Amino acid sequence: MGILSDVPTRSAPHGFWRRLLRSPNGVVGLTIVLGLVFCAMFAEVLAPHNPSKMGTGGRFLPPGGDFFLGTDEFGRDMLSRILHGSRITLLVGAVAVGISLTTGMLVGMIAAFWRGWVEAVLMRSTDVLFSFTETLIALSFVAVLGPSLQNAVIAVGVAGIPFYARTCYSAALVETSKPYFEASIAAGAGPARLVFVHLLPNVLPTMIVVATLGVSTAILAAAGLSFLGLGAQPPTSEWGYMLAGSRDYINRAPWLMTIPGLAIAITVLGFNLLGDGLRTSLDPVERR
Amino acid sequence: MWRFIGTRVAMGALTIWVTTMLVTLLIHAVPGDPVQIMYAQSQGTTPEQIEQVRRSLGLDRSIPVQYLMYLERLFQGDLGNTIRGGQPVLEVIMQRLPNTLVLAVASMFIAIVIGVPIGFLAAYREGTIVDIGLMVLAIAGISMPHFWLGLMLLFFFALELGWLPVSGNGPMNLILPALTLGLSNAAIFARLTRSSMIDVMNQDFVQTAFAKGLPKAIVLRRHVLRAGLLPVVTMMGLQFAFMMGGAIVVENIFSWNGVGRMAVEAIFQRDYPIIQGFILTFSVVVVVVAIAVDALYAVLDPRIRRA
Repeated sequence: MGILSDVPTRSAPHGFWRRLLRSPNGVVGLTIVLGLVFCAMFAEVLAPHNPSKMGTGGRFLPPGGDFFLGTDEFGRDMLSRILHGSRITLLVGAVAVGISLTTGMLVGMIAAFWRGWVEAVLMRSTDVLFSFTETLIALSFVAVLGPSLQNAVIAVGVAGIPFYARTCYSAALVETSKPYFEASIAAGAGPARLVFVHLLPNVLPTMIVVATLGVSTAILAAAGLSFLGLGAQPPTSEWGYMLAGSRDYINRAPWLMTIPGLAIAITVLGFNLLGDGLRTSLDPVERR
Repeated sequence: MWRFIGTRVAMGALTIWVTTMLVTLLIHAVPGDPVQIMYAQSQGTTPEQIEQVRRSLGLDRSIPVQYLMYLERLFQGDLGNTIRGGQPVLEVIMQRLPNTLVLAVASMFIAIVIGVPIGFLAAYREGTIVDIGLMVLAIAGISMPHFWLGLMLLFFFALELGWLPVSGNGPMNLILPALTLGLSNAAIFARLTRSSMIDVMNQDFVQTAFAKGLPKAIVLRRHVLRAGLLPVVTMMGLQFAFMMGGAIVVENIFSWNGVGRMAVEAIFQRDYPIIQGFILTFSVVVVVVAIAVDALYAVLDPRIRRA
């Protein structure tokens, strides 16, 4: 077999779904994430009230009764705000990770494929940015662009690039030294074929795991910026921003603090568990 | 070993050099006129005053000249003056930096004291209900937003129970912020310690130690713990950077008078000299700590020490 046994399969590894559905982490994570996607897609139908309409109920109504999760300082329905917030949260996670993932993979694959000075320049700059830390990159971006949800998402996305580039680079480096890769160079495959047909599908499993775990990091970072007032602005029902507003009423209405915090924690937990489950079912070495 | 440390120092110097350039460029990346924006909030600023500020910031010169001017002042320990109040930026930062460092070190201590024993216990009981339970706890800990944890600690310990002060800068005020940052990082240390210990326990030299009949306690202490803690030491550098980042949020919750709170205020007030100074200080601290941790690692690991 030799070279042949090394030929990568394009589809998911054999038994991937079975393994994912057998890992407790994967199942719980998948359930939470699918539940969130459902809430986000059907927020308009599921939400009993308009999330930004003031005086839907009285102010500071505790959870229960007509308002399942209570109302806030403007009498807005918390349940509707949380449901609509799930849209923002998922969108924030997806866009930020999208920015980090595509740019990072491009940098990583180019560096691993072309080697030489291209590799030196790309990976050294990645190292410098990496030691700069994600928080500082994100904060600098917001400082320059000004506080807004959109800028916070861009900031978090850009801040993640060095990490994704590094991970993709080391995954791609492993592939380029495998016999099948050398064989297809010998067979005369051009750079485009090598990168997109051979490299890309083989670094993808690793990058999917990294990206899933990365969604939780991105959501936390963006919610943190909004919490500081550097992200989402009123009257958005972004969870981090809602949490920040709850500080003034912490004694009077503690549910304003517990509910958005719990929402963020459950979301982040969902993506962490799913990422963990994906890792054990995609990576044969970790499978034990 | 010196080669190893030398490489790290060179990399660190490169990082700081790049930071100085980025910090100079930062003000030009601001959409619109930075000086106009800085003074947008204060009424009655005359065009002459704005022109003067522009000159004092060197914004009337070309970018390379500005960069050289910035470097020249930097070597004299001059980071410029704040827009609001006109104090020297270096002074403002140096007043607050110790508070942030104290917070970061205290949090690191809490994270290690809680996280490492948990990770060790989980590894020792690998595959049992204890291991699974501890790791579920750890993944929940990692998923917990630290700003939420901070608010809840504040609510229970300061407001409900009244045991600790809500905000301020005394030693008692350190407990809640340090606990917030420490607890959320303890989970990361627990997971890392666990996987590192499991790796070591499966190594040949540990099997040999058991095979030659050494008591379990001695094998664990002398062989497993020593080798297994090395990756944890490496992790401390990166973790310290996380702590500094986390401090920005936590300082704001507990009104802890550190550089993080100062930076967020400066962003709102568009006080660019403070932001520039903060970014530079932050990266210098992170780089210095990373080099110190790498040096410690080099001393602890005989494979590097003797190389």
